[in-house]
Amino acid sequence: MALDSKDIKGVRSAYDEGKLVPGGGDALPPPPANPGSLHIDHDKLRKQRKTTFGIGLLKGMAVTIKHLFMRNTVIEYPDEKQDLSPRTRGVIALKEENCTVCMLCARECPDWCIYIDSHKETLPAKREGGRPRKRNVLDRFAIDYALCMYCGICVEVCPYDALFWSREFEYAEYDIRELTHEKERLSDWMATVLPPPELELGAELPGQPSPVAAEPAAAAPAPAAAPAPAATGTTAQSPSERVEKESAPSAAAPAAASTPAKPDKAAGGAASAEPRPEASDGVASTPPGTAESREQKAPLSTQEGESALPEAAQVRVPAEAPRPVALEKTEDPQAVYDKVLQEQKDKGSSPQVAEARAKVARVKAERGIKRGPTPVEVDKPVPSAPTKHSEEESS
Amino acid sequence: MPDFIANFELTPWWILGIKLAVVLTIVPLGSLIGGYALHKELGHLQHRLGPMHAGGFHGWAQTLADGIKFILKEDIIPAKADAPVFKFAPVMIYVPIVLLYTVIPVDSKLIVEDLDVGLFFLLAVGSIPVIGTLMAAWSSANKYALIGGLRAAAQLIAYELPIVLSAAVVAMLAGSLSVIDIVEAQNWAFVIWPPGIGLIAFLIFLAGAMAEMTMPPFDMPIAESEIITGPFTEYTGMRFIFSFFGAEMAHVVAFAGIAATLFLGGYKPIVPLEFLEVIPGFVWFLLKTMFMFFLMTWIRFTLPRLREDQLQKFAWKYLIPASLVLILAAGAWVLYAPEALWH
Repeated sequence: MALDSKDIKGVRSAYDEGKLVPGGGDALPPPPANPGSLHIDHDKLRKQRKTTFGIGLLKGMAVTIKHLFMRNTVIEYPDEKQDLSPRTRGVIALKEENCTVCMLCARECPDWCIYIDSHKETLPAKREGGRPRKRNVLDRFAIDYALCMYCGICVEVCPYDALFWSREFEYAEYDIRELTHEKERLSDWMATVLPPPELELGAELPGQPSPVAAEPAAAAPAPAAAPAPAATGTTAQSPSERVEKESAPSAAAPAAASTPAKPDKAAGGAASAEPRPEASDGVASTPPGTAESREQKAPLSTQEGESALPEAAQVRVPAEAPRPVALEKTEDPQAVYDKVLQEQKDKGSSPQVAEARAKVARVKAERGIKRGPTPVEVDKPVPSAPTKHSEEESS
Repeated sequence: MPDFIANFELTPWWILGIKLAVVLTIVPLGSLIGGYALHKELGHLQHRLGPMHAGGFHGWAQTLADGIKFILKEDIIPAKADAPVFKFAPVMIYVPIVLLYTVIPVDSKLIVEDLDVGLFFLLAVGSIPVIGTLMAAWSSANKYALIGGLRAAAQLIAYELPIVLSAAVVAMLAGSLSVIDIVEAQNWAFVIWPPGIGLIAFLIFLAGAMAEMTMPPFDMPIAESEIITGPFTEYTGMRFIFSFFGAEMAHVVAFAGIAATLFLGGYKPIVPLEFLEVIPGFVWFLLKTMFMFFLMTWIRFTLPRLREDQLQKFAWKYLIPASLVLILAAGAWVLYAPEALWH
């Protein structure tokens, strides 16, 4: 038996209360008398519409007649061709000399449309007593364009830039077998590949870890102070940080936040905030990009004695090659061991745990790794985030 | 002996020959030109170009190329189809449409046959394609074709009445069934004068005609996205042309001409102004026919398809009562309007 209206009479929903409508209940037509039945009050709807009968038809006809007289924007292919954007994905071209037959493209292709055959050749050693070199030689490289879905994963994934996008799309064939383009044809497509787009202002130049600094002169006093173990305020800082810091600041003035990321990451995620508290070294070597954004947000602790140097002058160049980390010891490992042992005992850890932790601390001190929680690299400064100088108290 | 048998004269064979040649030329030519105009107009209404390629200059030969293509197609008759009926249905549809052309006056003397009952002949002959559509639907051995055919039957029958009744209004106003007399009676085209009656009759006739030709918004029977081509799904090649596309084009051109004759003044200028008399009659007629064709195509492209029940409701609940009321009004006008108001 279908649900009868009297079964659910008296049920008031949020709709009925007018709560679902921003204007309140009045904005909606009142709910039907029988909540259970679907009743469309056509007259009421029509009155609310407030239009005359048939106006909609005439309005529609006005629109179409307007288009009849508009200037037409049709591009009549094949007589006229559209201007394609440089990023248009047409055919994929192969630069054979770059291919090392790593097979990444064939592996990553979702359609398995890349067919690669290769063999290994052994070349004689280049000099006396050298090892014979093994090389991959490309026998066959074919892309089956009947399967290819132009996703571009192969182009993205190729580590040696051997695959390129081209804007060509007019290679339809009568026979589907001719849609498999072999090495030669793919190399021919290279002629249609556009040159790479211009680099943006401040972008990293390809092939270098970081661009050359703009102002080495201003950096002269700073690196001299850097290697010297600072007595105050930096005892807790490990040499590794300073080393990172030295390589980090070699950023050109316009170069932005991309540079600090690389050397920081290389050192294992030490935050760009790390160098800040060491500004007392005189190395106001905050990476310019992050420093610029941070200067306004997180006030630096005065105990560090922040230099008031303007940003441009805070660019530093390492005056000497960074020394291996292990050779720099700021703390006596044995002293660390004793200290940690005492701390743990005071805390009430069991003797084995205390000893283990003390040993770990000693090893870390030997290796020059800073004790304490691994600092998290922060791209953008959060004013409420704890700044690094608070870590000095932790060890 | 009845008069018409006593006075029966056989037209000389050569006159008959000329008339036949004229009709058989005009009809396909009209379809071709109409088809091309349709494609171009639909294209530009949709902000695109329409055919541009066939024949070089803006694709003028597109319909011709289509015609040749259809001639070259294989003639397929479904195995379970009722072959004689299947083959005869396009004939049943196309021949009456050709017959329509015989009573359309292009100029006061340029008419194939000025029948005394021209209008009646038009309406009667215009109803025969309905049977042809039903024949096509039933003989196709295809349930979707059948559904389309039944929809078509219901629609065409429903819309016969508005056409007939609004044509009856015209006949009353003109006082005759002969098409030449109807045109001669229009100093001011009926669509303008008598005020209101003529315009509403014209609109009702327009709606009815578009439904008779199963043009959108009344194209439920063909409803191409739903049942392919409805009753004509199984037809290919020239059978398709004669039952569907060619027939539709010929039908549209014919009805454009009929509407121009009945409501827009035929070969006479719309309004009786001196300077307009300079333009010859057949030019007026062609202009009006082209305008009607344009109007029907414009409506066809713009309006969305009506559902079957909406379609029937529109005919039975709105058009037919309106046209009945209109007949009353026209009758009152004819009887009681003072002479001075006429023309």
